[in-house]
Amino acid sequence: MENPYQPIKAVVEDIILETSTIKTFVLRPEKELSFQTGQFIELSYPGWGEGPFTPSSDPWVKEKIEVTIMNVGRLTSKLHLLNVGEVVGIRGPYGKGYPLDRFVGKDILIVGGGVGLAPLRSLLFSLFSEMDKYNKVVLRYGARSPKDIVYKDSLPRWGKKEKVDVVVTVDVGEGNWKGNVGLVTTILKDLPLEINNAVAVVCGPPIMMKFSTLKLLDLGFKHKDIYLSMEKNMSCGLGKCGHCRLGKYYVCRDGPVFNYENIKDIHDIWD
Amino acid sequence: MPPLYYLSQEKWRSFLSLLEKDYQIYLPQITGEKGIPCEFGKGLPKADFKLAKYVSSKISELTFNPYRTIEPLKTFYTFPKEKLTSVDREERVAIIGIKNCDLFSLKIQDYVFLKGVVSDPFYKKRRENTLIISGDCSAFKEVCFCLGMEINPFPEEGFDLNLSFLDDGFLIESGSQKGEEIIEKGRDIFPLASAEKISLREKKREEIVRKLSEHINLHNLPPLKTLQKIVKEGFDSPIWQEEALRCVECGGCNFSCDTCHCFLLSEDRFGSAHEQVRLWDACLYANFAKVAGGANPLRYRYQRLRNRYLKKFDFFPENVGLVACCGCGRCIEVCPAKIDIRNVLRKLSIECGIERV
Repeated sequence: MENPYQPIKAVVEDIILETSTIKTFVLRPEKELSFQTGQFIELSYPGWGEGPFTPSSDPWVKEKIEVTIMNVGRLTSKLHLLNVGEVVGIRGPYGKGYPLDRFVGKDILIVGGGVGLAPLRSLLFSLFSEMDKYNKVVLRYGARSPKDIVYKDSLPRWGKKEKVDVVVTVDVGEGNWKGNVGLVTTILKDLPLEINNAVAVVCGPPIMMKFSTLKLLDLGFKHKDIYLSMEKNMSCGLGKCGHCRLGKYYVCRDGPVFNYENIKDIHDIWD
Repeated sequence: MPPLYYLSQEKWRSFLSLLEKDYQIYLPQITGEKGIPCEFGKGLPKADFKLAKYVSSKISELTFNPYRTIEPLKTFYTFPKEKLTSVDREERVAIIGIKNCDLFSLKIQDYVFLKGVVSDPFYKKRRENTLIISGDCSAFKEVCFCLGMEINPFPEEGFDLNLSFLDDGFLIESGSQKGEEIIEKGRDIFPLASAEKISLREKKREEIVRKLSEHINLHNLPPLKTLQKIVKEGFDSPIWQEEALRCVECGGCNFSCDTCHCFLLSEDRFGSAHEQVRLWDACLYANFAKVAGGANPLRYRYQRLRNRYLKKFDFFPENVGLVACCGCGRCIEVCPAKIDIRNVLRKLSIECGIERV
């Protein structure tokens, strides 16, 4: 009998320190696990619980999966203590990812905040591997401070790619930071793209998603061209346990990626 | 109409012995009289019935419950706490005395656990192993309001066998293949019902509908078709805060609810190993929607109370086309704060300007 609640094992192959509170875990699942960019998995450690995370790796790579995790709670504090070679549990993937077919021929604006860049990195990998399908990728990323920036080595590399434009900002400058200072909304201006032929993808903390969305609407983006990654406490991932209700949707089943048009009238979506 | 058979009271034990060969029988038993007295002084019955394992030698007197039992039917399909490691061979169970409110709720539970992304193997197995023997209601409790949800106090579908209590026995009707087979096996116990008996059943059904309608009218319940509108338009109503002030977050409304299905996946330690368990969860609990890092979209009690109503009267109609309330009134009976779903809906409807027609 197939037990949908039973995780498969995955070995921690590598751990990359991104910031003092964020690590990327490279996992090798015992069975190949293929996901679409934007879908999430349930990651667990025996005795410490289970939680939803969106992979940050390239979905084309099937034998390994990377998850970028911030140390904020019970489970994540345990995960941050893991060593290479230890075993975690994985269930999934679940939900609906980014609708890449609707991005074809478009300028794609990607707005990330903090560790919210994790799912977006997976999206970027997907876009980069078929760049001829898309017009342009514009990434705008905001972190709290220079030392909170994730994927520090990758960001400049991505910026050098053809048809890709990357700008990073920090809320508070520190040390020898010479880049932009200000919330991510401050770099959402003079965007090198055609708003009428663009889609925007936003992922980050709720407050950042709220103000970025408002800014995008100000800039002339249509509701239906904005995609948001909603986070709730998805427990089962299967649309059964009832924890992640958002209006008439379950985030685990109908999301986690939502078209803003579909959720804009739901109360308290930013809470 | 499928054929109706007659089961006399003398043959009741033979019927149970027939079932006992293949099933563990659960039968309603009186447990006490904790029911709420009727505020309208109608002298409604207060006795509580509970489903108990039937052991033929131990039970001298057989009762048939005139209305629903205190426990919801869902207790046979999901448990307050259960291991989710493997589907053990579950016993085959025959439940007698299920009422139409419970049968309606089963549609909601089936939607959750059998449909969607994947069906739940634990639920499915128990569902397959259960024989449902329902019954017409011959009375109702103060808290009963099934008709307000447009659910009749007598089953018409969703059962394996249905029993309609007449004065000296039962009309018995099959509603499934499983039921059909039992009727076949017991042909010598149940003769075909006479036309008088059938018309007596109709009379009894009309009578209970009339009495229950009168009772529900006293409570001024807003019409079913307006419920989605009133919970949505009442989103910012002060009623949620007024009502939630009394809530003690016991979760009783959730756990006693026939349609509430939320659960939490967790783990328990068994020896040196951790095994997955599933626990019933309650959306009235403070941490129901809390995420790591501390954010909680249902931070306040009034938000959680409102969440319960939105789930029942907005989410489910949108997703299944049914409200997730069967009018069994268990949440009213169990609430130590006397939060009464009928009052909440009525207050919201008045505020929203919908007068009862």
